[in-house]
Amino acid sequence: MAHRILIIDDEDDIREVAAMSLETVAGWEVMVADSGAQGLARAAMYKPDAILLDVMMPGMDGPTTFRELRKNPATAQIPVLFLTAKVQATDRRRFADLGIEAVLVKPFDPMTLSTQISSALGWN
Amino acid sequence: MADPSALAAAMQRLWVQFLPQMEQRVATLEAAAAALADGKLTAAQAGEATKAAHNLAGVLGTFGLTEGTTLAREAEPAYAAGLPIDPGLHARLAEIASHLRNLITTGA
Repeated sequence: MAHRILIIDDEDDIREVAAMSLETVAGWEVMVADSGAQGLARAAMYKPDAILLDVMMPGMDGPTTFRELRKNPATAQIPVLFLTAKVQATDRRRFADLGIEAVLVKPFDPMTLSTQISSALGWN
Repeated sequence: MADPSALAAAMQRLWVQFLPQMEQRVATLEAAAAALADGKLTAAQAGEATKAAHNLAGVLGTFGLTEGTTLAREAEPAYAAGLPIDPGLHARLAEIASHLRNLITTGA
């Protein structure tokens, strides 16, 4: 099944690699946003099946973006996975407490990124 | 499952596309290490070095340069801790910047 994924990340290299990976390996439809604000607008407009959200972004960071997504009825039910280079256990616990679906760690393997997302969301 | 060679080709194209900004991030770390050695590192420079190290840690391993991610992860907290930076780390931070330069020059 061709899922629709929104990637929100201010780093264009990560955004491009993740998008290419999901399109090439899994054949998914990928939309991208380079900021939390743009991500909120695109999530409401496109209603993706899941959102891959960077944690550390200038302006509206990942946790703030996540809370805004949950406030909007149009996006409140969309599963969100954090994508982060922060690998400390304390960070992971803090993210889990927010209510996100999963935390994926940067760097990721482009060959298996879609599998990680599918596993986390029970899409297998 | 995709053809691994198609993925590898796409990754190589993206590596070439984004190499200039990775070089810029390494240059930021080199400049910070040089300023540190001269006793002239500013808080703003340390902040830029923290961000550069964070970005490199996240992306280099994705291109297969896992050693680069390890090195950048070592540098990030040193700069993120703020000034003054432990003098015992000065030489190591310069070494890390140099290693990262060699890694990205060699390529993914």
